[in-house]
Amino acid sequence: MTSLSETGSGGAARRRGLAARAGLAELAILLALVAIFSVLNPHAFPTLTNLNTILNNAAIPIVIGVGASLVVLTGRIDLSVEGVMGAAGMAFVLLSANSRETADIGWLAYPAALAVGAVLGGTTGAIHALAKVPSFIVSLGMWYVGLGIAAVLFGYEMIPFLGNEAAVAWPTATPLGLPNSFVLALVVVGLGWLIERYTRLGRYAYAIGNNESVARMTGIPVAGFVVAIFAFAGACSALAGVMGSLALGAGSATVGVGMLFLTLAAIVIGGTPLGGGRGGALRTVTGVLILSTLYNGLILVGVDPSIQSGVSGVVLVAAVIAAGWSQRARLRVFK
Amino acid sequence: MHHRFTSTVRTSLAATALTLATLGPVFYGLPAAAETSQQTYDKSDIILVTTVINATNPYMASWIEGSKALGEKLGLPVEIVQSNGSSQTQIAGIQALAAKGKKIVLVTNPLAASDVPAIANTIKQNGGYMVVWWNMPPNMEPADVGDHFVAFGTYNGVTAGECGAKALVEAMGGKGGIIALPGVLDSTVSQERVAGLKEVIKDYPDITLLDEQPANWDQAIALKTTQQLVAKYGDEIDGVWTADDAMMLGAYEAIKKAGMIGEVKFSGEGAYPPVVDLMVAQPDGNVVAASSFHRGYKAAATGMLIAYKAAVGELDVATLTADQRHGQYAIDCVTPENAAKFQENGGIDPTWLDRLVADPFMDLVGGKVELPNG
Repeated sequence: MTSLSETGSGGAARRRGLAARAGLAELAILLALVAIFSVLNPHAFPTLTNLNTILNNAAIPIVIGVGASLVVLTGRIDLSVEGVMGAAGMAFVLLSANSRETADIGWLAYPAALAVGAVLGGTTGAIHALAKVPSFIVSLGMWYVGLGIAAVLFGYEMIPFLGNEAAVAWPTATPLGLPNSFVLALVVVGLGWLIERYTRLGRYAYAIGNNESVARMTGIPVAGFVVAIFAFAGACSALAGVMGSLALGAGSATVGVGMLFLTLAAIVIGGTPLGGGRGGALRTVTGVLILSTLYNGLILVGVDPSIQSGVSGVVLVAAVIAAGWSQRARLRVFK
Repeated sequence: MHHRFTSTVRTSLAATALTLATLGPVFYGLPAAAETSQQTYDKSDIILVTTVINATNPYMASWIEGSKALGEKLGLPVEIVQSNGSSQTQIAGIQALAAKGKKIVLVTNPLAASDVPAIANTIKQNGGYMVVWWNMPPNMEPADVGDHFVAFGTYNGVTAGECGAKALVEAMGGKGGIIALPGVLDSTVSQERVAGLKEVIKDYPDITLLDEQPANWDQAIALKTTQQLVAKYGDEIDGVWTADDAMMLGAYEAIKKAGMIGEVKFSGEGAYPPVVDLMVAQPDGNVVAASSFHRGYKAAATGMLIAYKAAVGELDVATLTADQRHGQYAIDCVTPENAAKFQENGGIDPTWLDRLVADPFMDLVGGKVELPNG
């Protein structure tokens, strides 16, 4: 939770202190939730099985969050998550051994699915950057394009089931003590962190998000980097789509249902403002863990289903307020 | 005196209306197809339309297939309006087709009950006919709305819920814990099915309903929800009751991943082909206890045919019975014993469509669905 942009300004040290404090606030919220749910359901909540359930649930939104955080860092937004997940997930299933016997290209199905995501993401980025259309609306359109592709692939036939049982069992298996899906998510987070910290792509993302006109004036090819960042985000969503399909053991166009809201909320709770320039993938992990714990805990303590969504909305807003409290004075523009 | 006068006027007005209506087709130069009280049209003036919530759900896929099969049989193309989860998109889609000028013959599975009045208005203005499945406001009756709203059809959710629940508790040996996955809380269909479940477990004191968590009719959400419930109840779960087979397949995968398959029984609704296959092949043992059978294929074809027959005058709306205008259609209870019968051709008898064309109400089994008391 320590990474933050060094923007070269004089207040870098102070800003880093604030960031550390903000990171602690989010961690405190997570711990508070864990404590409350543990008291309310001491038998089932604080157990290893349940920890693995929460981590397994968190894996998919974390993977999406790595790409989405990078996009948000630049001050843009990618709403195409669920559509890209559907398209890539269906492509993956239909290119793997499955009950419809469409095709089986073996392990190549994985890179093929990621390529579907990268192309969709890159297209979003290119239309946004070259035609100068807000990323909000382009990616919204791409959400439906993705869903459309998924629907066409799904066709009017029956659900395609994955034939490779070992692959289907992989995400929830725990050879390393934690679910494989979560370990994979951590690897992706590590990759995201390295990109943010040590590559031009990542450093420029902060620069663009912080002040795009300055970034342009210093000669950064903004459009090119934005396309690359959207392509990376698309690939992350695609990986999430593959993980979701493995979890289901089947292809579904709606494999990503509910993920967009979850991921965006997690990014904001984690402390990456939608305005861009600050935050990053690591912070999003805390955000996702807060929301996954909340979702799991509300069911485990037996909150009535009809008020669960209300309660999670309230906790979400409270978490954003609490996480941003120390920085509220610094928010000059709020929209 | 006053009364008699009115009734005389009424009788003569009715007679005039009847005469006009009967002569109508003759005046318009249309085929004099039987004596119907409603406005009828030539086949060439009709377009067949159906609405679906989306095309990526097996029920909807089957629905589209049924609409197209009937369209082919009647020699008319079928327009499909996809709502994509939006009532506005759905109504706008129907209005756009109405604007093309032909008379609409619509079978719709509306997104929400509250959409039905707007759809009915569009059809009334167009002069077409419609049949609605599954969803309708509680105080609405096709007969009150008018001839253009030919019929409302549904399946008895209570019976469906009971089918799954009975087989499930029997498979569990009459004791143990059940988790239930309804669709969405405010869905009448889901509520009916849950009522069926509760009605059955009343008679089994050793059965506990551990939890009820709606899973939005969705496979992925059901998987996730079941994972939380497994963390909560663990071995206490002996049975999973779901209001729909898509959710059952999600729950099944979650239980399998938790290493509990074989110890837990399942019941679903809709008898999706993969679920029927599970009952026949039993790759993880005899764990799927039951699912009730009906098909989007049959619902769509039945509804579209009824509306079509009203439009061409092969069916007189005024003479339809109360059950025909608002009734429930046959469902079967599929269990591992009889599952093989439902495997071939998606469980649809190849002669079914031809028999339907001869009698569009052949699968009708009763009137309005009543919820059990309490």
